Amino acid sequence: MPNFFKLVYKDFLLLIRDKGGLAMLFLMPAALVLIMTYLQDNTFRSINESGIRLVLLNQDNDSLGIIIERQLEKSNIFNISKTIGHKQPTGEMVEKAVASGDYQIGIIIPEHATKTIRKNVKYNVALAFAGIPADPKKCDSVRFTIFIDPTTKTSFRTTLLGSIREFSAKVENEITLNEITQEVNKRVILPVSNLGLAGKGAVYYREEYAAAGIHKIIPNSVQHNVPAWMLFAMFFIVIPFAGNMIKEREEGNLARLLTMPCSYSTVLLSKIIVYLIVCLLQFILILFMGMYLFPHINLPALVIGGTWIVLMLMGLASALAAVGYGIAIGTIAQSHQQASVFASISIMILAAIGGIWVPVFAMPPIMRHLSVLSPLNWGLNGFYDIFIRNAGFMTILPNCIWLLLFFGFCLALSVYFNRIKREFI
Amino acid sequence: MTTNGIAIDIQNLTKFYRGNTKPALDHISLSVSENAIFGLLGPNGAGKTTTIKILCGLLALTGGEVTIGGYSLVHDFKKIRRIIGVVPQDIALYPTLTARENLSIFGGIHGLKGKHLSHRIDELLQVFGLEKSQNTQVRRYSGGMKRRINLIVGLLHNPHILFLDEPTVGVDVQSKNVILDNLLAINKSGTTIIYTSHYLEEAENICSRIAIIDEGRIVTEGTPKELVRSNQSFTNLEDVYLHLTGKKLRD
Repeated sequence: MPNFFKLVYKDFLLLIRDKGGLAMLFLMPAALVLIMTYLQDNTFRSINESGIRLVLLNQDNDSLGIIIERQLEKSNIFNISKTIGHKQPTGEMVEKAVASGDYQIGIIIPEHATKTIRKNVKYNVALAFAGIPADPKKCDSVRFTIFIDPTTKTSFRTTLLGSIREFSAKVENEITLNEITQEVNKRVILPVSNLGLAGKGAVYYREEYAAAGIHKIIPNSVQHNVPAWMLFAMFFIVIPFAGNMIKEREEGNLARLLTMPCSYSTVLLSKIIVYLIVCLLQFILILFMGMYLFPHINLPALVIGGTWIVLMLMGLASALAAVGYGIAIGTIAQSHQQASVFASISIMILAAIGGIWVPVFAMPPIMRHLSVLSPLNWGLNGFYDIFIRNAGFMTILPNCIWLLLFFGFCLALSVYFNRIKREFI
Repeated sequence: MTTNGIAIDIQNLTKFYRGNTKPALDHISLSVSENAIFGLLGPNGAGKTTTIKILCGLLALTGGEVTIGGYSLVHDFKKIRRIIGVVPQDIALYPTLTARENLSIFGGIHGLKGKHLSHRIDELLQVFGLEKSQNTQVRRYSGGMKRRINLIVGLLHNPHILFLDEPTVGVDVQSKNVILDNLLAINKSGTTIIYTSHYLEEAENICSRIAIIDEGRIVTEGTPKELVRSNQSFTNLEDVYLHLTGKKLRD
């Protein structure tokens, strides 16, 4: 046992003497998570369809205008503004505001929109009851103007137009039913009550996030970027770790250690412990950045959905997978250069297919299938479970098991390469 | 540990590297007496380093039997580790650690601790003239200083048997003298030394017995005097060496 502690002490000393390596281990991921979260925040807000800046000029001030305004507010998708620079806007001002990028959407509800609909309906219903076909040319149309910033997603644009059509159809239906009621009452002895749709529609849609627990957490850029770059940082230790192993081998120190009362597994274990601690420190650093730093720089705060114990277990499993990968590369690679090139490229690929750069849900279907091959994806899914779905131990267990199996596989591979390929006793 | 005066006994040691049909070691048999300084000499690729690596447990043997300090290499290597010291040809030290940190770590791995370890380090640093630079990172050391620290690591735990693979390669005359003088002193105190070198004159001066190895076989063995006297035309060990191994260049 004393030799084990000496080895841990040695690996710790080697680590802290390598200032550049230390900076890469802590400053690089901290900078990455900060920059990437900041960069992707708007994209994520857009994906989440929240906080879209909308300027509304309601010139109707009747049923249709009021309903559209109310429904837009209710959707929680938009930051609605009814003034531009504290002034009641004109149509021209709305167009300019969207064109200059101050707003993503501008909606102008025209004057007398409800009145026009009412007039059209009255004309159509009266003719229908008189048995005369209506002449569409005699109906005025209501013209909505919607200005859309070119960067706004097509899918979102379609949804918005669909919703406005739905709102106006609802108003049109109400008015139609009202007119029909009045016409019917002119013809029957016992008057019928208003045929209007009271309260909710016949079909009611209830939307809920499929998450356990009472809190509904909407995924945001922080909840993606914090675990994503945390995992990336953990796996990036493969480069200094493998480098340390190769250097130790090339300098003849590993051979020297193996001639002493010290087995190869003890040498590996000491490295695992030291780099595991490094990974966990990275994990805590980035976690705390998400929780305490981000809210001060206008980013959403990281909300831990599950319990801390579950979170730490997930962190530990991810760290072990990263350390295992480092051991495997450090053992198999023939030179420092080979290890660093292979490690950096393979981590980039694993990160890309694992959903670190672009979240898996935004990937093409084939890449979504491939993503399950990346240990970074297992880790990311585990953290998503905790941050977004309030997961407990049983939920994260499958991803933890995959990560631990990956660690075991890497460890077995490195032992094989040492015993068989290098012909050690 | 029963040795019957034999520190190392090698019988029919054979080594084939994976994928090679030609043996790196071909049925080598040797006995090294306790307290000997045994020189293993030979040209490049002759099998010296392979032999040393097998004896130190760094390579698996293909065939034969080896006993070190009375323990079987194959079955009791854990016990052998405690009684041997190894000084490799490469400077096997951590360059970003100081000399003292290196010694403290390697000594600790050998089970030395506390004051005992500290005193042993002080003693050896003084003997090899490195006490003043003990807190300097090894990467800042000269080649000779690194060699001396490299040797000290192998001596920290007072090994019964010391393996030295070209301990004086690339050092100045002063460092070389310090190293050789101390090796003789260590041997006098009871340590058996197995030594490889290309410096034949050096080997002739310090070794009590010498074996010359070529193409994986022992071509001769004896005391330096016996080897030189084996043929009237030989005046020194170099003549014996060139006669037995030829003048052809080796890779």
